[in-house]
Amino acid sequence: MAVIASRPSKATSTGGPAVSADGVRATSLAVLLLLVLAASVWSVTLGASHVSVPDVLSAIFAFDGSREHLVVRSLRLPRVLAGLLTGSALAVAGAIMQAATNNPLASPGLLGINAGAAFAVVMATSLFGTGSGTSVWFAFAGAAAAAIVAYGLGSAGRGGATPLKLVLAGAVLTTFLSSLTTAILILDETTLDTVRLWTAGSLSGRTMAQVAGVSPYILIGLLAAMIFRRHIMTLSLGTGIARSVGQNPILWRGLVVVIVILLAGGAVALAGPVGFVGLVVPHVARLTVGVDYRWIIPHSAAGGALLVVIADAVGRTVLASHSFPVGVTMAILGAPFFIWLARRNGGRRP
Amino acid sequence: MKRVVASLVLILALLFLASIGYGDHPVTIEELIAVLSRPIGTNPQIEMIVFDLRLPRVLLALLVGAGLAVAGAIAQAVMRNPLAEPGILGINAGAALAAVIVIVALHDAPIHLLPWAGFGGAMAMAAAIYGLSWRNGTTSLRIILIGIGLSALSGAATTFLAVSGDIHDVQRAMIWLAGSVYHADRAGVQVLALWLVAPLALALLSARELDLIRFGDDVAQSLGQRVNLIRALMILLCTLLSGASVAAAGLIGFVGLVAPHMARRLVGPAHADLIPVSALIGAALVMAADLAGRTIIAPAQLPAGIVTALIGSPFFAYLLWSRRHLAT
Repeated sequence: MAVIASRPSKATSTGGPAVSADGVRATSLAVLLLLVLAASVWSVTLGASHVSVPDVLSAIFAFDGSREHLVVRSLRLPRVLAGLLTGSALAVAGAIMQAATNNPLASPGLLGINAGAAFAVVMATSLFGTGSGTSVWFAFAGAAAAAIVAYGLGSAGRGGATPLKLVLAGAVLTTFLSSLTTAILILDETTLDTVRLWTAGSLSGRTMAQVAGVSPYILIGLLAAMIFRRHIMTLSLGTGIARSVGQNPILWRGLVVVIVILLAGGAVALAGPVGFVGLVVPHVARLTVGVDYRWIIPHSAAGGALLVVIADAVGRTVLASHSFPVGVTMAILGAPFFIWLARRNGGRRP
Repeated sequence: MKRVVASLVLILALLFLASIGYGDHPVTIEELIAVLSRPIGTNPQIEMIVFDLRLPRVLLALLVGAGLAVAGAIAQAVMRNPLAEPGILGINAGAALAAVIVIVALHDAPIHLLPWAGFGGAMAMAAAIYGLSWRNGTTSLRIILIGIGLSALSGAATTFLAVSGDIHDVQRAMIWLAGSVYHADRAGVQVLALWLVAPLALALLSARELDLIRFGDDVAQSLGQRVNLIRALMILLCTLLSGASVAAAGLIGFVGLVAPHMARRLVGPAHADLIPVSALIGAALVMAADLAGRTIIAPAQLPAGIVTALIGSPFFAYLLWSRRHLAT
C-alpha cells in the first residue's frame, strides 16, 4: 500500500490545469486509503476469538509467540493481506483492460485469465487430486498461459493487436476453456465437489508462504501500473489520438497485457476466479472521479482492496461461516451500490 | 450473399441428414426414404427413432441456434458493442438463477417446471435491467452497466446455491446450465417454433432500423429515428428470442456472441443480409455441436452448449484471422 500512497502527491503537481479538482481527488484517495487501513486492522481483530487492536499491533511488530499472536500471524494476517492484494490487483487490472480496449465490458478475465486458471486447477485436481496447497501455482501458470495465447491470437494477422481483435480473441478463448472445464466437471463429480468453493472465489486457508510467494508479482504489477498511468490514459483515448500524440499503441498494449497478467494472474492464484471486483470497481472509480485514468488507477486499487477486505470480514463474521465465498459477499455488498451509482451518473457521455 | 446463403443451406441440409442418420442405431438413406414414402406403421422401430427421437432434437437445435444468433445480432447493434450478446440483457443470469433455484433449492421439483422457470427468470431479469436503466430514456452504456450490476447480484445467488447445495443437484444444475437438447420432444419444438416465428420475422423487417441505431443515438435521431422506442422494441425482441431459446435448451452461450461476428465476416454489416445469415450460421453451429456431442464420445454425451464452444471457437478464430484485418 505504501507504493500507492506515495504517488498522488506527484500526480497533483504534474496534473492538468484543474488543480482544485485534483485536490478533491487527492483528498478522496487519502480518505480511501485510511479506510483501507482501518478496515484491515478491524478485519484482523475479528474472528472466533476477538483480538484487541494493541494486540494485533504487537503481534506484527513485537511477536512473542503467545496463542493470540500466533492466530494473528498465521491465520488472520495472511488472509487480510491476500484480500488487500487481490482486491487492488483485480481492480487495477480491470481499469487497465477497460482503458486499453475502450470497452466498458472488459474485465481482467477477458484475456482468458480466470478461465485459464480455472481450467488448470480443475485439470490438476482431476488428474492428480491435489489439494489447495499447490493450486496457487497451477492457477498462476494456467492464467499466464491463457493470457499469452489470447494475446497471441489477438495480435496475429495484419493490423497487430487492435482492441476489437484482442477482446474477441479473449472472449473466444475464455468460452473454449470454460467449456472444457465444464465438460470435465460434468463427467467428474469428485472434482466438482473439491473445486466448487475455489471457483466461487475464496480467501480461506491462505498461508503466509503463499501470500509471500505471489505478492512480488502483484506488487510489481501495481508499481508498473502507477508508473505508466499517463501512458494508459493516452491509450484509453483510442488508437488514432494515441498515435497522433506520439505513442506507439501496439507496444503499449503489449506492455499493458504483461501488467494485467502479473496482476490478475496473481489475484486468481490467491483468491480464485473472482469476477466482480475487476469489472465493477473501475466503473465506480470512473463514475466518481471522472474519466482520467491517472486517478482511476489509484482509486481503483484502494477501492478494490477495501471492497475485498470488508466483504471477507463480513462473510466471516455476520454470516459466521469460515468458508463463505468472498466472491458472493462482494457482489451482495457491492452490486446495489454500483447499480445506484450507474443509475445516477451512468451514460452521461455516450 | 447468394453464394454464402446457398452454401450455408447446403451445410444445414447435410447436417440435418447426418443428425437423422447417425446414432446408436444408424438409419440409412434408403430406410429414411422408405419411412417417408410409405404409410405410417410399416416400420415402427425406425419411425420411432426418426420422428420421436432424432427429428425433434435436430429441429430444436436448429430453432435454438437461429433464435440465439439473431438475438445476438440485435444485441450487438443496439449496444454498439462487439462483446454484446443476449446475456448482456440479463437473460442468462436470470434464467440460471431461476433454474438453480428450481433444481437445487426446491430439490425434487417436477422437471417440466424448468423451461417456464428459465423463461420467467430471463424475462424478469431483462425487465429489471431495462426498468432500472430508464431515466428520461435509456442509453446503451447505462443498460450495460446496470446489466453488469444485476447479473453480478444474481450470479452471487447462483454461486451461493452451487457452493452450498447438495452435490448431485449441483451437477444436474450444471448440465442444464451448460445447455443441451437431449430432452427435445415434438410438443416442445412446436411451442418454440410458434414462439420464434413472429420475433424472427420482425427482426428481419427492422433491419433498416438496426442499421441506423448502430451509428449512435445522435445520428439515428437526426435521421428521423425515435431512438428510445426502437431500442425498447429491439431489446424486447432480443429478450423474447433468447429467453425462449434458453428456456428450451438451457444456456447455450457462445452462439449469440459468435454467429453474428461470423456473419459479418461473410456478408458485411448491413442487417438485411446479416440477420438471415446469422440465423443460418447459428442453426448450423448448434446442430453440428449436438451431432458431435452425442457421437464422438458415445455412449456418453456432451451437452450441445459445451460442444458449440469447442467447435465454434477454432472456426471463429480461423474466420477472424484468415480474412482481411478488422477496422478499429
